[in-house]
Amino acid sequence: MSSLHEGSGPPQRSGPVRAPQSLAGGVVLLALGALALWLTRDLDQGSLSSMGPAMLPRWLAVAVGLTGLALLVFAFTKDGETLERWNLRGPVFVIAGILAFAVTIRPFSFGTLSTPGLGLLFAGPLAILIGGYATPEVRLRDLVILALSLTPFCMILFGDLLNLPIPVFPQALTGLFPADWSQKAVLRATAAIMTAAAVLVFLATRGRRRGPIDVADHSGRI
Amino acid sequence: MGDLVSNLSLGFGVALTLQNLGLAFLGCLVGTLIGVLPGVGPIATIAMLLPITFGLDPTGALIMLAGIYYGAQYGGSTTAILVNIPGEATSVVTALDGHEMAKQGRAGVALGIAAIGSFFAGTVATLVIAALGAPLTSLALIFGPTEYFSLMVMGLVFAVVLARGSILKAVAMILVGVLLSTVGTDLETGEERMTFGLPFLSDGIDFAVLAMGIFGIAEIMRNLDHTETRDVVRQAIGRLLPNRDDFRQSYKPVLRGTFIGAALGILPGNGAVLGPFASYTLEKKLAKDSRRFGRGAIEGVAGPESANNAGAQTSFIPLLTLGIPPNAVMALMVGAMTIHGIIPGPQVMTKNPTLFWGMIASMWVGNLMLLVINLPMIGMWVRLLKVPYRLLFPAILMFCCIGIYSINSLPTDVMFIAFFGLVGYMLIKLGFEPAPMLLGFVLGRLMEENLRRALIISRGSLETFIERPVSAGLLAVAAILLVIALLPSIRKGRDEVFTE
Repeated sequence: MSSLHEGSGPPQRSGPVRAPQSLAGGVVLLALGALALWLTRDLDQGSLSSMGPAMLPRWLAVAVGLTGLALLVFAFTKDGETLERWNLRGPVFVIAGILAFAVTIRPFSFGTLSTPGLGLLFAGPLAILIGGYATPEVRLRDLVILALSLTPFCMILFGDLLNLPIPVFPQALTGLFPADWSQKAVLRATAAIMTAAAVLVFLATRGRRRGPIDVADHSGRI
Repeated sequence: MGDLVSNLSLGFGVALTLQNLGLAFLGCLVGTLIGVLPGVGPIATIAMLLPITFGLDPTGALIMLAGIYYGAQYGGSTTAILVNIPGEATSVVTALDGHEMAKQGRAGVALGIAAIGSFFAGTVATLVIAALGAPLTSLALIFGPTEYFSLMVMGLVFAVVLARGSILKAVAMILVGVLLSTVGTDLETGEERMTFGLPFLSDGIDFAVLAMGIFGIAEIMRNLDHTETRDVVRQAIGRLLPNRDDFRQSYKPVLRGTFIGAALGILPGNGAVLGPFASYTLEKKLAKDSRRFGRGAIEGVAGPESANNAGAQTSFIPLLTLGIPPNAVMALMVGAMTIHGIIPGPQVMTKNPTLFWGMIASMWVGNLMLLVINLPMIGMWVRLLKVPYRLLFPAILMFCCIGIYSINSLPTDVMFIAFFGLVGYMLIKLGFEPAPMLLGFVLGRLMEENLRRALIISRGSLETFIERPVSAGLLAVAAILLVIALLPSIRKGRDEVFTE
């Protein structure tokens, strides 16, 4: 969808379209109305005294379509905003990060294929590392430290203190620790190791921090 | 009156237990901590933090959630004053004069008066809720499905009138929201509607997922587009306590703001949003020298902040008495209550008096907490605000994922926040405001249910909505509002209020 509207219109409007933003909005609303009508095509509408399942959705779909139509008409009669430029990098990496979290937090199957459940231990850092690339100002070192410190914090907070039913680590991990350790003990030990790793990365790469590039960074751009 | 005192003392008995005090404190603290992050408003904050209240008893959970809500609100104001990035619509006005004050080295006073004004407004609003709770609840009992439906129509019309930008687009968003709410199994016939045959859609779209996508994820994508510099104040924060002159200048705006905010907050359809705008406009009109506004006038912080907090609190009234969530935050509260097995509505007060009055008393406690914890911790919030966004947003992203996964333990929910994030981003790009859509979604299911019941009772006659006096009155108010909003002169004024 986004690639369709890629690029903002030129400052001088050419052609009959006077409000490209309204035009795009109208088209989207019309499409949505049509989709809803198509999806409810097999459902019973019923009568006013006993409404069927399709009554409200169908009329709403018609109304949505009508507002879309009105926007479409206004796009040709009234001056309005142009379309803003679409930036694909942000949405793509943010969505990729979220999806990576979703498929690794616990076993997830697409048809015959299924992903292993890796728990928060891997899903968290994946979300941070992939999502972090959504900005052009990304710096891998900082993301690694962030992932290594925030993940154990969340593991302790959600898994240990709050006892939320969120998978924290893959079952295979318990094999690496002495057999008589409880789940909680393994969790705490893993968190401690990760925090230590974060500190280690921080200290080991600290020298480069004083480089000239970093100084300019504290302007706090967003 | 005697009832009021005994009810409030029952409430304070609940709210002042050590456990509940601790929960209110913790809620306010984490609420502020997340709410202070730029681009994270109260809705995303609550959706993110909802799971941490799951292990608590219902009263404790709601007290903590209310604390999170106030914390997030106050955090938003802090960000508005210190960084000039309003986290949500209601702190837009605070940013105008608050940030100017901060630039003049008076950030401390701005934050101080915001906290003190909010505390005063919160105290009054608590009393208003306690006083109006019982009579409104009895009013709710004479409401039938017809009246409920008309009331919700009025609420949605309010939301249209209050939305920024084109009215047509706001109407479209409301309709889309109601349409989205009809996705899922039809409650009466059990048939699946618009689910694409997907099993996880058969229960409908989860509100927390929709809200998190539209307000959390889409906001991240939008922020990534804008590479403007974050204007964190470099000046010293200065003293926190306003001096005598400051108090003299701001006590009247605080009083007026509290009144406006409390009155507007009761209205269904997110009236609370209007409070700060109305208060700011009023103060500007009343000021001897209106040019000071926009250049660091303390009245421009004191009034709107009080209105904001009063409205934030009185918007609990429609939820607690009628069971109708007036805005998205309250809809999340409904979600939280349902998880704990409480169905919001007039019966809460009679069946669960300790919960009802405990929650009301805890609102006041929460406001006091904000005053006590926030002012000494300003330094920490400032440091948090200086963290660059490239590090903040991956952290927010992960918290969103964990939060939403913990609610239902469904990976598909996590995928859906990505989907709705994209939808929200598209809406922003196309000039649609997502807030009315969320409200339409929130009220949609209740509306359909009540519409059906009303029509069954009236045997299919639509005239029932005009024949019943209360319903007719509500619909008339809605119609008048819509006509007024469409009048060209008012439209101009409305645009001015929102662009100011």
